[in-house]
Amino acid sequence: MLYIANSTINNTSESIQGDVSVFLEKLSDEEFQRLYTQPATCLAIFRLLPDLAKQFIMRLLYIKKEVPLEHIKGWCYEQYIDKVNESLRRLYKLHICTKNENDEIRMSTVFQENLNNALIGAGNHTSFGSASTSVDKHKVNIEFLDKHGTEQWEAVLHYMVGANIRKKPSPAVLKLLERSGLMAKKDEDVNDEYKVFNRVDINELQITNKGFQFLLQDVNTQVWAFLIQYLNMVDDLKMDLVEVLNFLFQLGSLQLGADYSVESLTPTQQQMLNDLKHLGIIYQRKRGSKRFYPTRLATSLTSGSMLISKPSTEDSGFIILETNSRLYAYTDSPLQISVLNLFVVLKARFANMVVGMITRDSIRSALNHGITADQIITYLRTHAHPEMKKNMPILPLTVVDQIRLWEMERNRLKDEKSYLYHEFARAEDFQEVLNYAKQFDIVIWSNIRKRMLVVTTEGHSKVRAYIKKRIGSRQSNMHKQQQ
Amino acid sequence: MSESNMQYGKRSREASFDDRDPYLPKKAKLELVNTQDSYNDNNLDKTDSIYIKENYTSLQLKPDHRSRPLWVCDDGRIILEAFSPIAEQAQDFLVTISEPVTRPAHIHEYKLTPYSLYAAVSVGLETENIIEVLNRLSKIPVSDTIKNFIRDCTLSYGKVKLVLKHNRYFVESIYPDILQKLLKDPIILNAKINSVTNKNELMTEKAPNSKDIQIAGIDKKTEVKTEQEQEKINEKKKEDDQFGAFISIEKEDDEDEELRDEVVHSFEIEPACVEDVKKRCCDIDYPMLEEYDFKNDTINTNLEIDLKPTTMIRPYQEKCLSKMFGNGRARSGIIVLPCGAGKTLVGITAACTIKKSTLVLCTSAVSVEQWAREFKQWSNIKDGQIAKFTSETKEKFMGDAGIVISTYTMVTHTGKRAYDTNKMMEFLQSKEWGFLLLDEVHVVPANVFRKVLTTVAAHTKMGLTATLVREDDKIDDLNFLIGPKLYEANWMDLAQKGHIANVQCAEVWCDVTPEFYREYLKRSSRIRRLLYAMNPIKFQVCQYLINYHESRGDKIIVFSDNVFALKNYALKLGKPYIFGPTSQTERLRILQQFQNNPNLNTLFLSKVGDTSLDLPEATCLIQISSHYGSRRQEAQRLGRILRAKRRNDEGFNAFFYSLVSRDTEEMLYSTKRQQFLIDQGYSFKVITHLEGIEKMKDLVFSTHEEQIELLNSTLNATEKDEEESDLAQSDDVAFNNRNRGISRYGFATRRETTLKSHSGGDDMAYIEYNRAAAANIQKKRNPLFKKYKNRK
Repeated sequence: MLYIANSTINNTSESIQGDVSVFLEKLSDEEFQRLYTQPATCLAIFRLLPDLAKQFIMRLLYIKKEVPLEHIKGWCYEQYIDKVNESLRRLYKLHICTKNENDEIRMSTVFQENLNNALIGAGNHTSFGSASTSVDKHKVNIEFLDKHGTEQWEAVLHYMVGANIRKKPSPAVLKLLERSGLMAKKDEDVNDEYKVFNRVDINELQITNKGFQFLLQDVNTQVWAFLIQYLNMVDDLKMDLVEVLNFLFQLGSLQLGADYSVESLTPTQQQMLNDLKHLGIIYQRKRGSKRFYPTRLATSLTSGSMLISKPSTEDSGFIILETNSRLYAYTDSPLQISVLNLFVVLKARFANMVVGMITRDSIRSALNHGITADQIITYLRTHAHPEMKKNMPILPLTVVDQIRLWEMERNRLKDEKSYLYHEFARAEDFQEVLNYAKQFDIVIWSNIRKRMLVVTTEGHSKVRAYIKKRIGSRQSNMHKQQQ
Repeated sequence: MSESNMQYGKRSREASFDDRDPYLPKKAKLELVNTQDSYNDNNLDKTDSIYIKENYTSLQLKPDHRSRPLWVCDDGRIILEAFSPIAEQAQDFLVTISEPVTRPAHIHEYKLTPYSLYAAVSVGLETENIIEVLNRLSKIPVSDTIKNFIRDCTLSYGKVKLVLKHNRYFVESIYPDILQKLLKDPIILNAKINSVTNKNELMTEKAPNSKDIQIAGIDKKTEVKTEQEQEKINEKKKEDDQFGAFISIEKEDDEDEELRDEVVHSFEIEPACVEDVKKRCCDIDYPMLEEYDFKNDTINTNLEIDLKPTTMIRPYQEKCLSKMFGNGRARSGIIVLPCGAGKTLVGITAACTIKKSTLVLCTSAVSVEQWAREFKQWSNIKDGQIAKFTSETKEKFMGDAGIVISTYTMVTHTGKRAYDTNKMMEFLQSKEWGFLLLDEVHVVPANVFRKVLTTVAAHTKMGLTATLVREDDKIDDLNFLIGPKLYEANWMDLAQKGHIANVQCAEVWCDVTPEFYREYLKRSSRIRRLLYAMNPIKFQVCQYLINYHESRGDKIIVFSDNVFALKNYALKLGKPYIFGPTSQTERLRILQQFQNNPNLNTLFLSKVGDTSLDLPEATCLIQISSHYGSRRQEAQRLGRILRAKRRNDEGFNAFFYSLVSRDTEEMLYSTKRQQFLIDQGYSFKVITHLEGIEKMKDLVFSTHEEQIELLNSTLNATEKDEEESDLAQSDDVAFNNRNRGISRYGFATRRETTLKSHSGGDDMAYIEYNRAAAANIQKKRNPLFKKYKNRK
């Protein structure tokens, strides 16, 4: 299934947004209804829904009138009412269903019609792409597409990790990287005279903490995160959001290895084609070519199957992690090595393997980059060598615990909002206030010698009132400070 | 590239001659210097953003690398895929030629060292064989650096043997040219007995053969079996055709023997000149391997000793012995087996094979008793033929041959002795010992051995240990003093096969109460150590664990190095304890109770219990205070529960808890201590919170007042209260030149410490102290040797 992020899209947010449905929820009703004119989109969105919601849609698909909410709730056991509500909420948000004032549910007719078309293959549309009519003289096979897709995609990632590659990604991709916050322009601090000598390009991008987190995600999440950023930029690019979305969903329904005609696409979509080409999501032999091939990155967009089915060796797991914290990774990919380098001290490299060690320092540096222990552990687990996968649990528990402990180590200070009172003029004043505060059990910390007192936020008003009342004009200064 | 590849090692020739240890051949100081720069130059490719120190990507993988199990690095490290189908054979080979560094589940690491190669040669492997097999197993071609290193370390080693047979000393070799070369040396030539008119004539004869030897305890049938096994191996050999003749060590031995079957050359030397010749050979870089042809020794009387027919020895013990008696003679060397894996039995079996007078040296009077008991248990030795020599008992055996069991301290003591001790020493020195058995060699620094070896004349030396690691570098030389490491067992392997218990290791983090922590930050290191040992939370955790394990029916040992903590814990929790000053009879009484009394399930021990204490009932171990970062102590303590009687019960697990106070130095030490065990494949689980500890009834120090009281008593504890930790600060059998009385408790070894201990010097943080000491030693040595040691 798709990676579900908790927070919404936000450039400053530290988490990686890889879930398109969260993005969709921001659209207007009008945009939704335009979206739903495409059967491929209806099908793709249908696939993104939880099982129960899918069930509801199938039941409602051929009902052309309102259905009382009570009926729908009656389809499920009462103890699952939470799930029912949750599913319905998703349907409302995506404007697939609406609820009227009589607590009756009605499905969007546009959605109804076009999902039906998608299912039974009816209607006259090119929503699922129009296959090229002529035979390609330069036909390519799936193997080629996989290679192309991976190469293009990894070229972008290589660029991110700063691996020295022959060419920079296209300006569109660079812009995307910057806008998404995955990379940022080098710090202003560097912008002093010595850079003249070092010829540091001010426009040179540098990976951000968010970018590091991004690298640890699986490919599907990464692709979506990119595309969602693309969607956010649509307005700037003067493109029609609905057309862009429709095209993305269309890509997800295309068949790997088949070639499709460019002609049925709108101008916006043709422009997109060009951008997606650089990411390796589609393959076009040359710019003006009348046909394009989707790669696996495209066809797996909405299938939810991720790229695990990919029959390549490097994805079948290459990491061996030992109880002694040593890590052996069977890889020669600079990308994977760079990713490992984020949280492993690499010691030696052979033609087909790198040797490294997980140390407190290496993990802490990763944590400082905003990578979480869970991300590291998940990465190690998903890429574990088949030998490791024979064990249960896959990763040595002690090392996993240790990584978590190192993370916890950083969070030992708890913060709590509170108020500090100090500079009491007289010891008696202080004692009086302290005694008063103690009655309510609101003292967090106090020091008689320094005449300092810290109280909880709830206690603040009480203490303040007390001081005003009792000490009046001789009242000590009060400072508000967050601890 | 080729040029820089040649500079892997620098010779010690620049070093002045006098500094050198006469027992160490020069090549022991070779080291592999990483020549990575040369590779990196060619390798500025895609990943130059990630700098990896050692880059071997220029070494092309062999086309069939998938079926080969290992990589060889230029610094001598060997990385082995333990899941490869031929890993087992590869492991056998690697254990012989290199030191195991770490052996967890999937990938093992080994390291080639001059010592390990010396050991390899001494059991009969040959230089080109080593290189060839290594190359065959490696996924990448073995670099010239490594090849040259192996050649340099092995070419002159193991070629010459000093053999004692028919009570005459012979210098023996299969290479006549080497012997001729030796004879050009005036010292050696002088020592030669000219039996034939021609001065440089060599004698030739058929080489010895393992067929005519019978290791005690392995009956004749097994010999037939081994032949069958041989056939099996041969079949196997055909099976893995791909790699041709393979690595099994026995086979190498065989090949070797076939070679030697042809002819062996030798010349005889004067017995009086043996030492000179030995030294001279070392000097000219042909260190002699010592072999004892005990079957043909007619001057030393045979000892009537044999294993009892009921005694069974295990496969790995057999392997040790086959390494020792591989060619029909007895080789000297060290055998490394985990605690509880039956080291004693290996020693006894070896003694039963040699059947000559035997001297056993161990670390304490308690172990002397244990050795004597074990000898009686496993062999048919007569009571009169086994004698103990300790501060309390000074016995001699009847007749011409027998066994004497003593301690290192008794033998190496140089000061004034009591009259009867002197008498006994004269007796020991006058005898020619067929077999010298050295127990727990890791605790004994090399200089003690030197002393032992000069005091006692022995034909064969065997060292036994579980942990050949020390925080200082005093044991590397053992390889040359005693002999090469003949065998090192894999702990995990033995645990899987049920020879030693499965252990769950855990490190329990105990928070420190604010009051204790405040004091901790303020105080000197001595008080700090007390404070983290006496931390009330640790107290509670300890109590909790004891309760929990007692209710499961476990027998628990609690270790505390700190005597103050030991007493306090034991008294507070109402358990018996043993420490240095506890008298021998008291000890035996407590131990007996612990073993037999179902109501006594917990025992507190100070470091006197670290080694050589046989308590098969114990199944759970809790450590509340320990000796800094000593990996050896950790492993030795773990050893106390490895021989758990119940180990073969289904699903049985022994438990090892190490309690550490959070945010104190103890955490750091703890990590360091665990390293050895982690390298053996053990894993320590960190426990930060014990379920239900708050709900426990009668929790000690649960109130603030009690904790403050504990704090005060802790702060008031004087150094006197931890007395024993001073006395036994270093649990080495220290080599002492001072004349000190022998303790009335019979624990002379513990009381006799070095000058530094008495002056309180040992009480300083051990790292600083030992580093300084090590640095001093290293200064005396040549700088290259030092470099080599530091790299470990």
